[in-house]
Amino acid sequence: MKIGLEVHVALPTKTKLFCSCSTEASEPNTSICPICMGLPGAKPMLNEKALEVGASIAKALNCKTQDTTSFVRKVYFYPDLPKSFQITQTEDAIGREGYLGIDSKKVGIRRIQLEEDPAKIIREEDYTLLDFNRSGVPLVEIVTEPDISSEEELREFLTELKSILYYLGVDIEKEFKVDLNISLGRNRVEIKNITGVKNIIDAERYEVERQGKLLKAGQEIAAETRSYNEAKMSTEASREKESEEEYGFIYEPDLTTYSTKGIELAKPVFASRLAGEYAARYNVSAKTLKELVLFNKDALSMIEHAKEKHDMKSIIASVELLSKYNMLDMKKERLERLLLAVEKGVYPDKETLSKLYKGEQVEAAGDAVDNKTIDKEIREVIKKNPSILEEYKKNPKAANFIVGQITKKYKVHPRMVSERLNEILSG
Amino acid sequence: MEEKELSRLLKICRLELSEKEQKDIKKDIEEVVAYFDILENVDTKGTEVAYHPINVSEKLREDKAEQFGNVEGILKNTKTYRFYVVGPKV
Amino acid sequence: MSSIGEFEGKDIPESYYPKLVKELEPINKRLNAFLTISNPEGGFPFSVKDNICVNGVESRAGSRILKGYIPPFNATAVERMLNSGFGFLGKTNMDEFGFGSFGLNTEVPAKNPFDERYVAGGSSSGAAVATSILKYHVAISESTGGSIATPAAFCGVVGFTPTYGAVSRYGLIDYANSLDKIGVMARSAEDVRIVFDKVKGSDKYDTTCTDAKFTAKDKKKVFIIDQFTKGVDEKILSSFEKLVEKFKDMGYNVENREIRLAEKAIAAYYIIAMAESSTNLAKYTGFKYGLRNERFDEHYNEFFTKARKAFHKESKRRIVLGTMVRSASVRDRYYSKALKVRSLLLDEMNALLKEGFILSPVMPILTPKMAEAESLTPLEMYKSDMLTIPANLCGLPHISFPYAYEKGMPLGAQLITSQFNDYAIMDMVSKWEKDFEYRFKYNLGEL
Repeated sequence: MKIGLEVHVALPTKTKLFCSCSTEASEPNTSICPICMGLPGAKPMLNEKALEVGASIAKALNCKTQDTTSFVRKVYFYPDLPKSFQITQTEDAIGREGYLGIDSKKVGIRRIQLEEDPAKIIREEDYTLLDFNRSGVPLVEIVTEPDISSEEELREFLTELKSILYYLGVDIEKEFKVDLNISLGRNRVEIKNITGVKNIIDAERYEVERQGKLLKAGQEIAAETRSYNEAKMSTEASREKESEEEYGFIYEPDLTTYSTKGIELAKPVFASRLAGEYAARYNVSAKTLKELVLFNKDALSMIEHAKEKHDMKSIIASVELLSKYNMLDMKKERLERLLLAVEKGVYPDKETLSKLYKGEQVEAAGDAVDNKTIDKEIREVIKKNPSILEEYKKNPKAANFIVGQITKKYKVHPRMVSERLNEILSG
Repeated sequence: MEEKELSRLLKICRLELSEKEQKDIKKDIEEVVAYFDILENVDTKGTEVAYHPINVSEKLREDKAEQFGNVEGILKNTKTYRFYVVGPKV
Repeated sequence: MSSIGEFEGKDIPESYYPKLVKELEPINKRLNAFLTISNPEGGFPFSVKDNICVNGVESRAGSRILKGYIPPFNATAVERMLNSGFGFLGKTNMDEFGFGSFGLNTEVPAKNPFDERYVAGGSSSGAAVATSILKYHVAISESTGGSIATPAAFCGVVGFTPTYGAVSRYGLIDYANSLDKIGVMARSAEDVRIVFDKVKGSDKYDTTCTDAKFTAKDKKKVFIIDQFTKGVDEKILSSFEKLVEKFKDMGYNVENREIRLAEKAIAAYYIIAMAESSTNLAKYTGFKYGLRNERFDEHYNEFFTKARKAFHKESKRRIVLGTMVRSASVRDRYYSKALKVRSLLLDEMNALLKEGFILSPVMPILTPKMAEAESLTPLEMYKSDMLTIPANLCGLPHISFPYAYEKGMPLGAQLITSQFNDYAIMDMVSKWEKDFEYRFKYNLGEL
């Protein structure tokens, strides 16, 4: 099985790719100008920031260094495309021949190209409605080689890619559209325009099964373009037969060839790789760490800040706690008291945490309870609910009830209560 | 040029011609394309393409938002419905 | 003699402009120079070729498909003229999108003011006619392959096409982006200079617009190009020879030279021009501006196809040819090849022009009558641009000026110089004007 992707994400710029219109607008057709409307007479002017981010993505994905980059016109007709050509990149794209490493392999990156988004189109029965606010929003398209060969790898690739993009400042929630190429047999099937990771995986699953069945039945798989139906969780042959388009690429003569040499590149952060390293070094779960840091800059920065001085388990617990109450942007110097408390097994409540966050005085956040008190409390709860021991033997999750009772009463970390409880029950 | 090729090109360009027009244009195109072929014997080995006649130096735009002052003037050119531009069915 | 200087030295009453418009309108009905006429609010009158956007004024590049398009912005050149105090008089007629050498590819062709049976030349037909009939006026015009020089020559005015990128193209309705140049027509080289000084220079809305310094290096040498006299009408040649003698008298050394690639230039030019224009014309689909197809319930392919029927025959021809030369299977053979040939021609021309100027007739044929021009095949028409194409393909500044009158019709010659040496050829024509008086049939708006 061969899977290749074309991933489209919007770049984190204030303005569009070729004009000064804001990329943020609510009312339809308010952030428009002659350029993004494709009015006769208008000319594109390249956004400096888009070029920078594009080059940074190319570097993060290990692309070969290109000295220069330029744009082409891709001609096709559709109501959402104002000039009837899209300004995009081909051979002279900002990134070429890179790769992204996942656990088991390197997935080749064929090309990374900057391009303009078409307008938003709403299909009505007898007409369409167009909102050109989206027209000209800078996109980056990442084209992979067909190197992915399982659902596992697909999922991993998408997560890793999103994390890298997230750390380069891309708003991965804003737009994440994928064209999925899957071939089990000889012919390639393209599933266009799938939004979001869940749908991508579902589409892949369906398509693999569909193609598998056909092959088993000795049937040929047609090379075609399909679309994903979210409601039915299935792919279907695109309704409209792709009319013969001949993109007829030419160099975009309203622009020039841009040097990539002087561009200040953002330093990529490979959060997943770091999580793996720390997990091994500090003997904690890699999965937990990854979940925390893949899409959370503040969490990663806290962990990096505290990792030398504190116990990693307590750091993780503190980060989880702060994350729960949206306080991850807490000042680093205020973090210390929280870490000390957590290390002692104390789990501050929202109110105390909020005080810590603001740097206000808290009474003895670090010395609320000791093991003795907790042991006593545990025994007390068991005494009151004798049946719990039986239940616990059948299902260890029953212990959650006891932990819950105690954390309600004391500022203590649930994990600490569980530890004490285990000791009591086994002892 | 074959009829089929001309029809393909016309479809790509979203052009429709009458039979007579199609016949005329086919003849014109054949003549012009034959003329274009005089470039074949120009030795361009090792020659770089010239996308522009002059060196166009790099000019980039700062990522600073500016509202276009005459959005109304743009939309006056088109048919709108509740601020949306109306387009043909897809 | 600068008519701008003369005009500005006079006290112009407000009533001048409505009077001018009144005088112009009936003659325009016959000659079709203007597509729109406005009453200027003051200043020296200027007209704008219809493919250059004027805020709030219909701008349709001579095309039916853009009928009703009202740009919500000014082209940079127009903006700069207005800011310099010039008064906008109207939009001038042209071949649709600039596709033509005789001004015929439009709904109502402009006529030659010297004799209305003759063509005005194209594609800036209206600009040339306007300049030829108005005493105080300059035209903001545009050339892709000869669209300024040719009509200027046929109508007996000065037509200046600057170095590519000298004047911002922002607001110019594209024909071929790597070839289009906004330029000036006037009744004297001095007027050209005044206008060029106002409109030239870097613009944040056009990447290809240059902030280079323009020079006036006189080279004392004039080249006559073999390929630019071969195939030229005998009558033209005999008067051209007299012109060459005069340049010798003016102190220039005249030498015969060759441009090896001159003939290939025509093919390379049309390939690039058509490839680029076929992409530019893709945007005209009949709903966002201009001619509107109201049947939104038709599937977009039919909707677009129906709207695109409004193109003139020549535009359709160029769209098909342009689409062909950039299609994947032959792209290298035509499009890329043409770009390489341009590169070679640039080397050849640049080397030659380092040493001196090129002097040649503008057109190889005498001004044709309407019917004669109409009977040319497309290829014959394309080939008639053989003298203007090399300079245009290479973005070289060139200026066309009247140098003789053959049976009452003006003949035009052109001077070509190296890139950015724009002022030098204006100086030369100014010198020429000292001993040669231009003739005009009309002098509307005389004071």
